[in-house]
Amino acid sequence: MGKLDNILKEYGVSRREFLKYCTALSGTLALSPAFAPKIAEAIEDDNRPPVIWLEFQDCAGDSESLLRANRPTVAELVLDYLSIDYHETIMAAAGHQAEAARDETVKKYKNKYICVVEGSIPTADDGIYCCIGGRSAVDILKEVGGNAAFVIAVGTCAAYGGLPAAYPNPTGAKSVKEILGNKTVINLPGCPMNVDNLTATVVHYLLFGAPPALDKFLRPKFAYGKRIHDNCERRAHFDAGQFVEKWGDEGHRQGWCLYKMGCKGPETFHNCPTVRWNEGLSWPVMAGHGCVGCSEPGFWDTMTPIYRRLPNIPGFGVEATATKIGTTIVGISAVVFGVHGIVTAIRNRGLVRKVENEFEDNE
Amino acid sequence: MKNNDNIKCAAKRYIYVWEAPVRISHWLNFLCIITLSITGYYIHNPFIHASDIIETTYIMGMMRYLHYLVGVIFAFSVMLRLFWLFVGNRYASWHSFSNPFRKEDRKTFFAYIKYYTFLEKNPPHTLGHNPVALVAYIVLFNLFILQIITGFALWAQADPNSTLYALTSWVFSIASNQWVRFFHYLMMFLIAGFVINHLYSAILFDFKTQSGEISSIFSGWKPERNS
Repeated sequence: MGKLDNILKEYGVSRREFLKYCTALSGTLALSPAFAPKIAEAIEDDNRPPVIWLEFQDCAGDSESLLRANRPTVAELVLDYLSIDYHETIMAAAGHQAEAARDETVKKYKNKYICVVEGSIPTADDGIYCCIGGRSAVDILKEVGGNAAFVIAVGTCAAYGGLPAAYPNPTGAKSVKEILGNKTVINLPGCPMNVDNLTATVVHYLLFGAPPALDKFLRPKFAYGKRIHDNCERRAHFDAGQFVEKWGDEGHRQGWCLYKMGCKGPETFHNCPTVRWNEGLSWPVMAGHGCVGCSEPGFWDTMTPIYRRLPNIPGFGVEATATKIGTTIVGISAVVFGVHGIVTAIRNRGLVRKVENEFEDNE
Repeated sequence: MKNNDNIKCAAKRYIYVWEAPVRISHWLNFLCIITLSITGYYIHNPFIHASDIIETTYIMGMMRYLHYLVGVIFAFSVMLRLFWLFVGNRYASWHSFSNPFRKEDRKTFFAYIKYYTFLEKNPPHTLGHNPVALVAYIVLFNLFILQIITGFALWAQADPNSTLYALTSWVFSIASNQWVRFFHYLMMFLIAGFVINHLYSAILFDFKTQSGEISSIFSGWKPERNS
């Protein structure tokens, strides 16, 4: 029983609530509930690593997600207690003091602290588009990320470049993995990431001493191993062929499938339908809006248009849909071969006559 | 290449051109493409409103099931035809591809191009595929292969721990999920465009060369002609 126990007491979180939280986490991690006591032990253990939270080209949405960790409220406390030594948005220190705190942690806990990165990293023009304390983002990330135990890229920007890296990408924005090629990077994409997944990832590390199993896009499998579509509460309506045709129509009020409204659930791997948001209250599709696929690589470039099923083709105008282009191809070929047929028929009139005459001659 | 010449039907001076596997594969492809196009279009745009027809239904589920099942049959059919490229007779074999380094082949090829563009009236007679059509078929089969790969890759996403996903997920390192869907859908229209061409050309040559273009894909036999 370490300091955490006191903190929990101070915040009015009972032992029972804390253990409930540990059980919920074991569920998020797809572990057996038998792991809950072990998780509690791991969280209470005093060897928890400090965290440096870096922010680059971001909207602070993931910080916001962190601050609103509220299911149960202990999540925030746990992450607080993880001693976030450096977090520009929420730290008390400022200026040189803040930089000094960061440098100290890097030195003191070399290869032991966790580096969390939010936002993409600009590389164009020597990275001048994002400088902190006179140093470029690339520079800071290489130093802080390079000396960390491992790096967690939170949010789609840090994981894949996100909005800043969308076409035409004026700042040359890159993802964390692209900068730290050899480092262990865990991507927790999402716009913003779901803090439960961050907590679970950290707890997995505390519990097993290793990052969770990752997929080919470096996302933890426990959180990104299944499609939204396959866990969606509207899925039965999809299979039954019951679709929302217009916002606010009868089907929409009945909670039918949003597939035809451009929902990207079938293209998106995330545990939104099971973990959900705001104390597990709801998530976008439950609230009646289609998934926009915010946690997929190339989100801004390939998941748009948000209210259509397929991307537009660049160079064919904004409104050119795949169906229009496809039917044009078929139409053109029908016209070409139709014309060819007419010309051939005219050209072959002589041949027909000849064959007919031969036929008559033979009779 | 089987060179011991064509099996001839002595009485009628007919030649056995299309062997059974070629015909089976052809008609399987035909049926599969029709089914896949209809179900695939439905999956893209579910135009039948379930509640309009019956009360309880599983219509999208059925369409998807059919699409996957026929997709598997189609994959085997295409594999059969590709296999026959190596073991089939001279008309089905890859040996019938034009060799651009052979003057004779180039001449035949351009004679057909000229015929198609009305610059020439009588192209040289070929018993198997004509060389221009053959190019179209090579392109078509490449489209088939792309459709099969992208189709199975999209299907495998239902379970990223599956063997199928392990085999096909490399597709998504080349193009994102959305673009794979896009191309899988657009290629259907390219194939539909080909079908129009294919039907027209078959009728055209059936008429022009009087060599049973249409009937031979049912029977396998073509009348012997020299010119």
